[in-house]
Formats: sequence, C-alpha cells, structure tokens
Amino acid sequence: MLRQPLSRALALSSPARVAPLAARRYADAVPAQPEKVEVFIDDQPVHVLPGTTVLQAAAQVGVEIPRFCYHERLAVAGNCRMCLVEVEKSPKPVAACAMPVMKGMRVKTNSDLTRKAREGVMEFLLVNHPLDCPICDQGGECDLQDQSMAFGSDRSRFTDIHFSGKRAVEDKDVGPLIKTIMTRCIHCTRCIRFASEVAGVDDFGTTGRGTEMQVGTYVEKMFLSELSGNIIDLCPVGALTSKPYSFAARPWETRRIDSVDVLDPLGSNIVVATRTNEVLRILPRTNEEINEEWLSDKSRFACDGLKRQRLVTPMLKDSRGNLAPVEWEDAVVAAARALRDCPPDKLLAVAGGLADAEALVALKDLLNRLGSEHVCTEHYFPTQGAGTDLRSSYLLNTKIANVEDADFVLLIGTNTRFEAPLLNARIRKAFIHKETDVALVGPKVDLTYEYTHVGDSASIVKDFASGTSSHEVMKRLQQAKRPVVILGADQLKSEEGPALLAYTQELAHKLQENLQDKEWKVLNVLQRTASQVAALDIGYQPGVGQALAAGPKVVYLLGADSGVVTRESLPEDVTIIYQGHHGDVGASIADIVLPGAAYTEKRATYVNAEGRAQQTLVAVSPPGKAREDWKIIRALSEVLGAGLPYDTLDEVRDRLSQVSPALVAYGDVQPNNYFAQARALAQSLQKPVSGKLDVQLKQLEDFFMTDAISRASPTMAKCVQAVLKQKNSPY
Amino acid sequence: MLQAIRSVARSSLSRSLPSLSSCSSRFASGDPSSRKEAPIIDNETLLAVHEGSTSANTIAVPAKVDISPITGVPEEHVKTRRVRIYQPPKNAMQSGTHNIHHWEMEFDTRQRWENPLMGWTSTGDPLSNMKIEFSSPEEAIEHCEKNGWIWYLDVPKTQKNEKPKNYGANFHWNRRTRVSTK
Amino acid sequence: MSAARQAIKVGTKNVRPVLSVNHGEAKRRVLNLYKAWYRQIPYLVKDYDMPKSEEQCREKLKEMFLNNKHVSDIRVIDMLVIKGQMELKEAVNLWKQKGHMMAYFKPTEEPKPKDFLSKFFSSNE
Repeated sequence: MLRQPLSRALALSSPARVAPLAARRYADAVPAQPEKVEVFIDDQPVHVLPGTTVLQAAAQVGVEIPRFCYHERLAVAGNCRMCLVEVEKSPKPVAACAMPVMKGMRVKTNSDLTRKAREGVMEFLLVNHPLDCPICDQGGECDLQDQSMAFGSDRSRFTDIHFSGKRAVEDKDVGPLIKTIMTRCIHCTRCIRFASEVAGVDDFGTTGRGTEMQVGTYVEKMFLSELSGNIIDLCPVGALTSKPYSFAARPWETRRIDSVDVLDPLGSNIVVATRTNEVLRILPRTNEEINEEWLSDKSRFACDGLKRQRLVTPMLKDSRGNLAPVEWEDAVVAAARALRDCPPDKLLAVAGGLADAEALVALKDLLNRLGSEHVCTEHYFPTQGAGTDLRSSYLLNTKIANVEDADFVLLIGTNTRFEAPLLNARIRKAFIHKETDVALVGPKVDLTYEYTHVGDSASIVKDFASGTSSHEVMKRLQQAKRPVVILGADQLKSEEGPALLAYTQELAHKLQENLQDKEWKVLNVLQRTASQVAALDIGYQPGVGQALAAGPKVVYLLGADSGVVTRESLPEDVTIIYQGHHGDVGASIADIVLPGAAYTEKRATYVNAEGRAQQTLVAVSPPGKAREDWKIIRALSEVLGAGLPYDTLDEVRDRLSQVSPALVAYGDVQPNNYFAQARALAQSLQKPVSGKLDVQLKQLEDFFMTDAISRASPTMAKCVQAVLKQKNSPY
Repeated sequence: MLQAIRSVARSSLSRSLPSLSSCSSRFASGDPSSRKEAPIIDNETLLAVHEGSTSANTIAVPAKVDISPITGVPEEHVKTRRVRIYQPPKNAMQSGTHNIHHWEMEFDTRQRWENPLMGWTSTGDPLSNMKIEFSSPEEAIEHCEKNGWIWYLDVPKTQKNEKPKNYGANFHWNRRTRVSTK
Repeated sequence: MSAARQAIKVGTKNVRPVLSVNHGEAKRRVLNLYKAWYRQIPYLVKDYDMPKSEEQCREKLKEMFLNNKHVSDIRVIDMLVIKGQMELKEAVNLWKQKGHMMAYFKPTEEPKPKDFLSKFFSSNE
C-alpha cells in the first residue's frame, strides 16, 4: 500500500499510462492490421477497423447511442430498434448496433430524424409496458425509465377508450434467485443471449410472434446456472429482478462501496450496496482482467449469510462446557494464558479459506515470536521439490484474461465451472469466439461447453508429460500455439499429488519450450480458496496433516471452517482458540471464541489465484463486539508480552511488503518465472501414478454452499433445494 | 404650546436614554475609577498592510501547501482518515455511462446505524458524506495533499481491446457463434 | 505513505500574498495578535465570568499559539492571524457566550485512548 500511490501517481503523468495493459494482452497473430476507415459521427472524424458497427464507432468518440438489446459482451441482436440513427444518403434510419461502417459514412446521432425515430420506438415500447415504476424494483436504475426521460416523447397518445388493458404476460418461475414479472418484458433478448452464450445453459427462448411473443423457458423449468444472477443486471427493465433483494431498497438510498469478493479464488470485483449498516446486495464491478462485468451466484447472493450465524461477542467455555459470552479483556487474557502455557512445539495455527493477508502475517509473526513454526493452511500443497518456494508453481500463471486468447485448454482434475465460475466463462468465451478446444482429465462433468474427455486416470497426465500418449489431445497440445494447462489444487491432497504436480510441470514446460511466444505461460494451478495464495506467499505450511499428528496442545484456528481440524483428530486436553466471523465448524469445537470481521467489514488484502493482490473496503462495521482480525492478534500479542511491532494498518502493510512486495501491489500481477527450476526440482518426484482424479464440486447443488458465509446464507440453501427439486422434474 | 411640550418631552427623554443604558450592573459593583478600560480592538493595527513592504507582488511559499491548520477539520480526522481516489464504477444494472467520467474522493467508512426515531441512517462521522468530484486524479491528489489527508489511488481496470462486432456472426455456417434459440 | 506525500512536492512557488510579504512581517502580525489577546484576558475572565484564573487563560493562549508553531507558509500564517483576530473580536464584543469561551478548555471532552490495547478494548475503530 505504502509505496503504491507514489508509483501510481508518478506513472500517471507519464504518457505510457495506458500502455502496460495493451502490451500484456496477447493480440492475435494478425500480420498487419487492416487499414482503418474514416467515418464521421456528428461531424467528428473517427478511424475504425472495417466491419466495426456504427454504435461501436460512436462509442470511440464518446457518443453514446441509446440501446436496449445491444450489449457489448453479447452477440448483436438488433431487435429493439432503439439505436436507430440517421446516416447521410440513406433513405431510412439504420440500426447502429448491427450496421457496419462504410468509408466516409456520415452518421447523425442527434438529428431530427434520429430523435423522431427514437421517440417512435419509445412510444411503441411503452404501449405495452406497465406503468408500475413505483412498485418496480428496477425503478431508479431502469434503462427504460432513463431513456424515456431522455429520448421519449413528452406526451402519450395511448388512449385505451375500450379499457381493454395493456398486454399482460404470465410470470415464470425460474428459481429462487430471479423474480420474473414478464409483463414488463420488452423482448430485448439479452437474457436469452446471455444464457446461451455466456452461461451455456440454453434454456431461454421466445415463443410466439408479435403481441403473442413471450420470453421464457418453453416448459416450467428453473434457470440452473452458476451465473444466473447476471441476467438481473442485463435486463434493461424490471422483468427480471433479484428475488432476495425484492422491495428491499431503492438505488438512491444505498451507499455503494467498491470491494472484492472472497468466496471463490478469483477475487471478482464487486460493489457492496449498504444501508443502515447492513449489506443489502452485491453487484459486479467491471474489471476486464478478472470478472469482466459478471459475477457468480454465490458471490452475488450469499451476502445474506453475513447477517446470520455471526459471532458477535467473545466467548469462553464455562464449567459445564458451554460457550458463554464474555468481555474482550477476559477472552484475550484467557487466550494469552493458553498460548503462554503451551510449549512452542505443541502450538499450531490453522488459517482458513477466508483469512486476509494482514491477519495471516500477524498470526505467523505471533507464532514465530512464541517460538513455533507450526502455521498451516487447510488446503494441502506438495512441499517436496520446489514446494511453495517458487510462486509460479501454485499460481494461475496464464492469468484469467489471457485464457480467452488460448487455442487449447487442458483441464486436469478440476471442475472450473464450480471452482471458479468466471474462469470457466472465459474458457467458454474462447471456446465460442476463438474456436478454442478443451480437454479434461478427470471425472466427466458438465462444463457448459463441449470438451474431449480423456479419462479420469492420473496416469494420463504421466503419459502426456512423457510424450508417450497416443491420444489426439497430445497432438493438439503439441500443435497449439498458446496452450493452457490448468491443474486443480484439490488433486494435490492425495498421495500421488506431488507426482501429479511434477508431471503437470513437466508437461507445461515441454509445451512452453516449443512455443514461439516466449511470454506465454502454460502452467496453471487453480487454488480453491481466496486465502491460499496469500498464505503460501507469507510462508504458511500447506496442509495440517503432519501438525495434527504431532498432537498439539493449543490450536489457533483463523477462520478454519472446512472441517479438516476436528476434536477427534486432536488430543483430549487440547485448547482450541477460534477466531472468525461465523459460528460454523470451527467455532463449534472451540474453547475460546474471538469474533472477527467478515470481508465486507474490514479493509483487508486478498490475493487471488493469479497472484493479484486486491483489497476489500469497509462497507459496514463489524457486528457487536467483533473486531478486525489483525487487531485481535495484535492485541493478543501485547497481552502475551510478545507485542507485534505494528499498530496501524499501514504498518501491517509495510510488514506485508517486507514479506513480499507482490502482496501490496494492489490490482497488478507480478510476472512469474522459474518454471524450469521448479520442474527440475520436481523431476525426482515423477513416480508412477495409478489413482483416479476426482473433483469435489460436480453438480450445481454442490456449488452453492462451500464456506462459512454461504453455509449461513438462507438464499444459498434455497438454491440447493431448488436444484434438487428441478432434478425430479420431468424437464 | 402643545408642540413645545412635546418637543421638550422628547428631548428630555432622548437625553436621559444614554444615562439609563450606561448604568449596567457590572460597573455598579466596583469603583469605576479603579477600573481601566480594555484596550480597543482594531482590525487596522493587526491586519493593515504595512507601508514600505508592499513592493513585492508575489511571495515565495513552499510548493507543498498544507492548509489543514486553517480548514477547521479536527486533527483526528486529518491524521487518521484515508482518502480513496477512484473513478465511480458503472452501475451494473444500467447501460448508461453518463455520470461516471470523473474522479471522486471518498473517506473510509465509519460506523453507521439505523436511528431508532425515524429509521433513518445516523453516523458520527462528519466526513462520511464528503464526496468531491474532480476531472482528473491529479486534481484530487492535489486537493488531498493540500488538506493533509493520506490518499491512495484506485485505478479501475476497464481498458478493453476493441473487437468489431458482427450481426452476421449469429448465422455463421461453421463457427460456434451461430445461435440456436431466439 | 507520509514519505510519499512529502516526496511529491519540493521547492517553492510564487503566489500572491494574503497580507504579509515576508516572514518578518507575518511574525509581527502574530505577535500583535498574541499581545492583543494577552491584554484582553483579564477583562475576558471577568466579562464572561469564567471559572479559570488569568494565569490559566494565558497558559491556554500560549498553548493554542504554539499548536501552530510548525506552520511556515506565510499565507497560512496570515489566515490564522485573520481567524484569530475574528475570534478575538467576537470575544471582546461579547458576541460569544460563556460556553464558547470555555470550549477552548474542552472541559467535557474525555481523552481518547492512545495505546493500541486500550483502543482495541474500548471501540472497534
């Protein structure tokens, strides 16, 4: 943090300010850019590539043409006609979203003809649109409202003298997340295109023509996708609105705080809408390098879990074995006494999947000061070979945005659809727009696109690595100019994990050596949680197996809720200190509970699977007596007499930057290297493997509840039920 | 006659007014002669521009201006607050981008709560609603520097590579962009 | 961060003066203001019936002037003098009330905890 603003500020004045991103993208190997054509938008000249649409050309000079059906991340539909503009020498107005530019074209986006055309379109749209804005959830952020104010006529010619009423359509039931009021639908077909292009669930469509036209799922069916919430954002009117958020608030009442999601390893950018110290909803925030403008359903709708099952006060186990609320002083003193009385080698700290980097570094510093080295994460990663010493061996090195430039993707033991939905959306984008092919080693799952299923045996990876495989995928991999290999981190837990990683490194290295593009990274490891990368960067030991076997006397759980630490796996006389925000698995076995803050309640650093550090911001204050996590550890250290040398967040971040500058380089990814060294170190681990690869999240119902927050969320519970119900339906 | 009486009455009354108003209680207590008058406060003596020193039209001051002593912002809100300088993100629910082409500054969020009287939101933070718009981040930085606030810059990653869109792709005969449903 | 903030701007720039054109003049104004306040203190204590001795008020006066001793920008010094003069005028003309005068001494303000641990135990900020 500390160094960042200065470098940013200095960079701002340099002309190369926008260059890095463009340089980082892997442009197609197009030989020479085709010559640009000059067109005039409202007499402003602009040079664009041939084939660009009028609407895109106008956007380049900052002229925004009104639209309903057009969306820059979806296919062109051209059916709303709102983007009609006048083109000189054209007898009729043309639809800007579908019309390619021609040389010397003169477009008038604000002429009388254009305005009249827009007015006409608005009038037709409003003829059958209900005037229920006062009770519509979209009110205040509705494109139809905005555009009828800006471009519509100032009076209505709609006189229903026979009181026959407006067109009305029956509502659909598409699941517990999306509320449909189909009468409001203006048939822009954005939801249909999103479902078929991005989500890959081709359930939506239209039936009928003219007045009879309806958007729906043909049969009574739920929209079962992990990205379904995005059609709420896409809907330009109030036909699709959020069910959990319905009638909760108006957009102008809420305060929006930009933050980062932590429920999957990608760290999608989000906007948290709050009112009266309560998180009301979460919306995506555009970040072209991570989530574009989509958001997975868990990230979007699990926010009601932040209000339930919360730990609001410190607790101690009383004489009868029940947790009783106490003051902070008592809890901290009790925790300090337990830590002090414990021999250092019997001390164990376990960090969970939602822990932030500040708390992680504070906890590690504290344990090191007490003389213990046992700081672990819940998820395992092989420590043999290069282990976690080389950053490139546990990161998503290709980077999320570059995946869409890949020409062949090999997934090994990962179901990206549910482990990282937006990465899967990128792969699907490449699949559709770049003709990228995908192969999967692992159990057969529905990835929303076609792929070659190579099998689920680990030995396939060995064959690929040694080059002895005769599978066609092997040939495709070798021919690929920009191959991507993604290994699911879950596979590394097993006995054969180290070997599997070694083989994957070997394979990636062999592929990379033959590439013309030397900057292209092939090897990717997809972590499962938001905290794992930061924890490994800070120097946590992956996995708790060994440490548990040593029989610790005091276990400090930092939000460790995945259930790898249980009472049964520990000695009888162990003291468990749990620090976290939800009363989940960890808190239920604890002797001392220290309430922490959830990700919407603290300014904290999270490092995503690419190794990109991002920070969450405080949207609401922690409930009750809960405190920011690093502060709890800092206070504890002082009571212990091993005071940590930082009092403010800036000082903690200074400490983080000492550990690794990448942890405070907010928003950017540091380039990774040393692939060859990691592979060389791992070569001895290439032992025969015979096991089968399996993934944890196979079906949609597994996706919704994976962490303490989403397990506490009633909306997520409803989603699971809805999916199970849909399974029993005949469609 | 009547006029004369009236004029006398008026004059006597007007003459007696000052004496009435001057006999305030606080002077009555002590011996007036022992009390000195307070010095007269006069803006001129303090603020007047001194003769002979006005030759220079400009003065040299440090380039880094710090106006925090005269803004009246309490010291704790200068020293402990952190300003985020950012571009407001596009609302995902709307397609328009009219009100987001500027930079804003915003303070870190402090506690807010629902006021039990009306259900409105209360806060103890005087700076919670201070959102100032700037046309460039440099201006925002300058403003924060001047006020002594610690700032950081959040540059959004919204740069995307332009790719021509094509209506015909919906009907492409052998590409995957071909659409089935409508 | 503080290092970053100072590093960004060094050197001087030329601007139009508020009142003073050099440090000597600015200093003279500050001293004038100080003396003016100092001479008013006995009367202010009586007029406002303040439960403070003249000595305490002089202490406070000195403390408040010294609060800004680090200010080196001539324009800022001038602005502080102007604001101080306004305060003085309000005080002398009895435009203030007793509470306003006592507010300089912050009688109702409870000192906030300074060290980390007491801050941690007392509030979540």
